[in-house]
Amino acid sequence: MIASHQIETRLREAAEGLLRDKKVGLFLGYEKASLPFRTAPLFLTEAEKAKRLVWSPFCTANLAVYLPRLFKAPADAREAKTMPPPPAVGVVLKGCDARSVITLIQERQVPREKLVLVGVACPGMVDARKAERALGDQEALGAGEDAQGNVRAVVEDGTEVTLRREQVLADVCLECRSPTPSIHDILLGAPAEARETDAARRRTADLGSETADRRWARLQQALSKCIRCNACRQACPMCYCKDCLLDQTRPRWVGAGTDISDVTMYHLVRAFHMAGRCTECGACARACPMGIDARLLVRKLNLEVEDLFGYRPGAALDGVPLLSAFAMDDPQEFLTEP
Amino acid sequence: MARNPYLPYPARIEEATVENAARDIKTFRLAFTDPDTAAAFRYMPGQFAELSLPGMGEAPFGIASSPTEAGYLLFSVKRVGLFTAELHSLEAPASIGVRGPMGKPFPWERMAGRNLVIVGGGFAFTTLRAAIKCILDPANRSRFGSVLVVYGARTPGELMYKKDLAEWQARNDIDVHLTVDEPDATWTRHKGVVPTVLEGLNPSPENALAIVCGPPVMIRFTLLSLAKLGFPDGAIVLSLEMRMKCGIGKCGRCNIGGKYVCKDGPVFTREELKALPAEY
Amino acid sequence: MIDKRIPYTDLDRLLDRLAKRGAVYAPIKDEAGEVVLAARTHDQPIVLEYRNFRLSPKALVLPQNQTLMCFKNGDVEEPALSDRETFLFGVRPCDARAMLALDKVFIDGDQHDPYYARLRAKVAVIALACTRPTSSCFCTSVGSGPGDAAGADVLAVALDADLLLGAETPRGQELLSCVADLLTDAPGAAVKEAEGQIRAAEDQIAPVNLQNIARRLRDAYDSPLWETASLKCLGCGTCSYLCPTCHCFDITDDVRGGTVRRVRTWDCCAYPLFTLHASGHNPRPTAKERWRQRIMHKFRYAAENYNHLLCVGCGRCIRNCPVSMDLRTVLKEVGA
Repeated sequence: MIASHQIETRLREAAEGLLRDKKVGLFLGYEKASLPFRTAPLFLTEAEKAKRLVWSPFCTANLAVYLPRLFKAPADAREAKTMPPPPAVGVVLKGCDARSVITLIQERQVPREKLVLVGVACPGMVDARKAERALGDQEALGAGEDAQGNVRAVVEDGTEVTLRREQVLADVCLECRSPTPSIHDILLGAPAEARETDAARRRTADLGSETADRRWARLQQALSKCIRCNACRQACPMCYCKDCLLDQTRPRWVGAGTDISDVTMYHLVRAFHMAGRCTECGACARACPMGIDARLLVRKLNLEVEDLFGYRPGAALDGVPLLSAFAMDDPQEFLTEP
Repeated sequence: MARNPYLPYPARIEEATVENAARDIKTFRLAFTDPDTAAAFRYMPGQFAELSLPGMGEAPFGIASSPTEAGYLLFSVKRVGLFTAELHSLEAPASIGVRGPMGKPFPWERMAGRNLVIVGGGFAFTTLRAAIKCILDPANRSRFGSVLVVYGARTPGELMYKKDLAEWQARNDIDVHLTVDEPDATWTRHKGVVPTVLEGLNPSPENALAIVCGPPVMIRFTLLSLAKLGFPDGAIVLSLEMRMKCGIGKCGRCNIGGKYVCKDGPVFTREELKALPAEY
Repeated sequence: MIDKRIPYTDLDRLLDRLAKRGAVYAPIKDEAGEVVLAARTHDQPIVLEYRNFRLSPKALVLPQNQTLMCFKNGDVEEPALSDRETFLFGVRPCDARAMLALDKVFIDGDQHDPYYARLRAKVAVIALACTRPTSSCFCTSVGSGPGDAAGADVLAVALDADLLLGAETPRGQELLSCVADLLTDAPGAAVKEAEGQIRAAEDQIAPVNLQNIARRLRDAYDSPLWETASLKCLGCGTCSYLCPTCHCFDITDDVRGGTVRRVRTWDCCAYPLFTLHASGHNPRPTAKERWRQRIMHKFRYAAENYNHLLCVGCGRCIRNCPVSMDLRTVLKEVGA
């Protein structure tokens, strides 16, 4: 596995070249953030500044979330005349991010021909909160990666602490089945194999095997912390609807407060709207200020979609979005067998 | 202890009349159910109130009646969303809540003794009607100089308060000029946009004050016209609209820079607005 | 002024006394092992080793959702409110100060907010000074600090040996007098130790230059920095919801069965719908205007209107932003 540093160098070269040769007008990547265990998305327009790009175990954000807004259709005739056409965009993608882009292309939200996709085979990314918790009551002042791919943090008293990567990988990465971007114009890093292909299934198995009451209690407990900030929705690349159902007032489907029935409705509706579309990037869980695993329901729904229809969102560019297609042998028990 | 500012006063609809040809603007005449409230609800033209319908919420509307019209309040409402659609479906004697009065009114002390140029467009004529009715009241008229009104709409059918307009045009203590973009066969008055008509009338800025209410594009061009006519920024008064909720400067929504349109406005002079960011 | 002392072994007894008068909130570990400010129960030990809570205590004076009134059968009912006191123990100085900032917004002149005022009047804050700031703290740059007593009724400092306390308001004095038998005078050496700890904590906090920030922001209103700074903002609302001074809210009617409740809920200026007019016009149409509004509101408009910044430097927004936005970076660029 090529170390992050080498990938970083090649990434900077690629971005610089694309911008300099005007193959793209904007390059989306990651740069250093002001706190350890984190990076910040970088909107690069100048080739000379390509050195700001980084590649590290902390490149957690799914940059696909920015693409729909870059290619938004003009709102009216006046905007159509005055709005300049969007530039071609280069973007760094991990395996999950690439699946998001595939889904966005299939749903006609971004044009393939205007994208230059720089895929990176991903060894899994670090969850900043897990890393901070692992340090106990010491705060990290800086963090990086060692030759073995583990996280090396410098803490307040000056000492160095090594955190084994598996210990601090994001939950979603522990279940990852697609570490290598299946769509790319450039691929950095050797294609990697998925670690454990049934981790997600195992984690949802216990959810399915419990009694309905237990499951409901678990769900309520997990969701009771929700403060209805909508961060999960805003962070999700698949939530690009101009007028979200959950904000509508005519009619008001869901109230705005933290009443448990409104909270549950919000998450249930979102989960169902994600079934067969969610590419399990974990942006929702990462954005949640209350630490709720927003993937709790979608993970299960996605597995059901896979089992019922043999469909994994974003697996292949020539796939058709699940709910846009109908095959004659689709299961239909619920319709025809009462 | 001061009254809870979030609590609406109970009122009822006494009459609802359609104002325009498109039938999406209605004027509601409301009366408070408690006569003490009516006495306590003291307001001046330019102010607004939040109308409240349980289950639908609230929305802010300029008060279209003058305090000289005793015993009732008038609100003109355009049907654009959830709340207004519900309100449009109501008739006398349906209940409705009124929260207010809110905001700063037109600057009456400064208007006294001056010639007034009142410019309105389309649906934004509501508080201007209140102002004109108040000015024309016999107890008040002598306090002001000449009054020129320029009011325009897209078509003749879209002009509001047609009865009041006709009455005012018959008077000789007010000069009312109406204009439309698209006249019909019977239209005999001006044709063209309000700013152009205003410039054609060439009112003198000498000891004058202009009040402008209208859609953003009309305001923009009217301000250019007033500048051309020599009106200084301190002599131009505007009434702004913003999405509002609390109406009392707490929910953080309706601000332009550091000023809340609900509390520090909705009436601002051009001078005051120039000191604020152009975010409205 | 810190002048009293209580051994840690008696802390529970002190809180028990307060519990007789009202609800007590104290720092405890939740199921995930995180320290939160929660209603104190006897099976949960008080924890004093933490930096700060993830959620700010503002929910106790400005709840995420709050019923303003009920409409039933043509009548309007205001909700009943208990008069029980609420004691917050362990609030950090930044969060205590935040309450003063909220007071400026909600309790002013003739339009004061009775819902906020009633909850606020019941709250007594026993703040716990910080000894270990984080790298996202910048309280010292907004006029606060690890030992700032603004907003606290009682300020406490945790020394190794015991807990020092001092009343900062008449209410704080009354509180301490009702537990006077549990307290002894703090010896001068202990007070000096406390002051030293606080100073040491102050030294650890990296300063952010906020000199003349209101004027600098006014001059930078049209700067291109707002566009570049806001590109990555997701409009997720995490910053506002965790912020101890953010208070923007929505009012909606919630209909359930035959009852209609008019409810106030937290809202966020970063949401695209926040300023959307019914006509479709939006004065703050993109992330650039909204991000600028956030900074302007906290560091300029608040200064102009209340003479008090709407930021206490707690750093929650920086630490929790999913795309690592850091308003200190923006503030440094303004007028630089």
